[in-house]
Amino acid sequence: MHTGVCGEILKIEHLSFGYEKGEKVLTDISFEAHDKESIGIIGSNGIGKSTLMKLLVGLYLNYEGRLEVAGHTMDKKNLNHIREHVGYVFQDSDSQLFLSTVEDDVAFGPQNYGLSAEDVEKRVTSALQRVHIEALRKKQTYKLSGGEKKLAAIATILAMEPDIIIMDEPSVALDPRNRKNLIGILNEIDALKLITSHDLDFVMDTCERTILIDDGKIIADGKTDEILRDKELLEYHGLELPLRFGGC
Amino acid sequence: MNSIEKNLLELNRIENLQQRSHWMNRLHPLGKLLLSVLYIFTVVSFDKYKVTPLILMSVYLIFGFIIGELSFREGIYRVRLVLPLVIFVGILNPFFDKRVLFYLGTFAVTGGMVSMLTLMLKGFYAVLSSYILIATTSIEDICYALRCVHVPKTVVLVIMLIYRYFDVMAKEADRIMTAYTLRAPSQKGIHYKAWGTLVGQWLLRSMDRAEMVYESMLLRGFNGDFKMRRKEVKKIDVLYPLFWIIVFIIIRHF
Repeated sequence: MHTGVCGEILKIEHLSFGYEKGEKVLTDISFEAHDKESIGIIGSNGIGKSTLMKLLVGLYLNYEGRLEVAGHTMDKKNLNHIREHVGYVFQDSDSQLFLSTVEDDVAFGPQNYGLSAEDVEKRVTSALQRVHIEALRKKQTYKLSGGEKKLAAIATILAMEPDIIIMDEPSVALDPRNRKNLIGILNEIDALKLITSHDLDFVMDTCERTILIDDGKIIADGKTDEILRDKELLEYHGLELPLRFGGC
Repeated sequence: MNSIEKNLLELNRIENLQQRSHWMNRLHPLGKLLLSVLYIFTVVSFDKYKVTPLILMSVYLIFGFIIGELSFREGIYRVRLVLPLVIFVGILNPFFDKRVLFYLGTFAVTGGMVSMLTLMLKGFYAVLSSYILIATTSIEDICYALRCVHVPKTVVLVIMLIYRYFDVMAKEADRIMTAYTLRAPSQKGIHYKAWGTLVGQWLLRSMDRAEMVYESMLLRGFNGDFKMRRKEVKKIDVLYPLFWIIVFIIIRHF
């Protein structure tokens, strides 16, 4: 739900985290993000991108450093409040959609936040319209195609009208048409977006800012166009140039 | 297609039935739930020698299947696991109750035979009426109805989660079985040496998936209570159960 907070809505200072004691997955991560920004988080497999995203929604709270979301410090006390402002789109849409129909699943979030039946209805309709799947409203979730599932998963988050939308590998397993459709939809969403992806062309199309992570640390943070053209930097950290810049 | 896949397909077919736009599906779930419970209680309450009124009680099932556009054959097929139990439950009655009630020509019909028949019919009716409820009402709606009658939210939540996680576990089992079968094409079933690893993998993977589903729920404000959309009660939602309650009373008492 929109806070109406303008400017800086995500503040991370010297964030470190490890699943096991003594084994850090993320080390000294610091960055700030502003309202309506679109940020790509890139890096090779297993460097902690998904862990960072899960920290931002409070799935792990035993971190070191400072983490502030929508003006609230990330801790147990503020968890419910923070989650009202952050939407998380899982890589595996099957895990996100757990109710019988698309409509029920999209309504799940707004209902939990105590909205009236009328408001829930409005939210559901608006979310489905924004991802252009109004026709799938009554469809059973198990019957959806991969692309439809992804859009339905995004609709479940949009219905909560979050200030921050986090997406874990949104372009995975999408065909070119669905991928293009998703790019258009993401570019229309008016919220801070944090997108982790290996699909650098996708990042190029959806994010104006990119953060490169390797070995649990921020290696580069800047304009997408500059970072994704830097062949040496990308290759050194296990990535390749986007296809449009001659990558393979 | 392996047996897990078949069972998943079966589950999907039932979900298809539940999501139809048929008027019986749109009836208020509380009315349908109470009607089913009342039907079962009425059927069970008949005397063990009263066959005629029991046969009359089948009118509810016939109506349910015909008007509800449900296939009787499919219904029987889906409850096939319970039916043997229903059939065998009274099979010993003819040996214990040998009192002759009446003659069919020269054939003596004993009390045991009649009570066996009524017991079978009672079980059969109970199973089929439950099937009608399940085929026309989604699990969410049944849970909503349970909450309406103040069943504790923990119980309702457990029912809902078991149903959801059953699906998660079945899908994982299906994936593992498919992957195994494709790499052991000439093998019948699973080799005993692989059982331990496969079951372990299945549990771990199911737990991972279940955890993701739960995280997804938490991130959308879930706090231990499934908040369901309030369903409006229309005239038909009251008239339909009322009609059947009157029918049950008439058959039961006259």
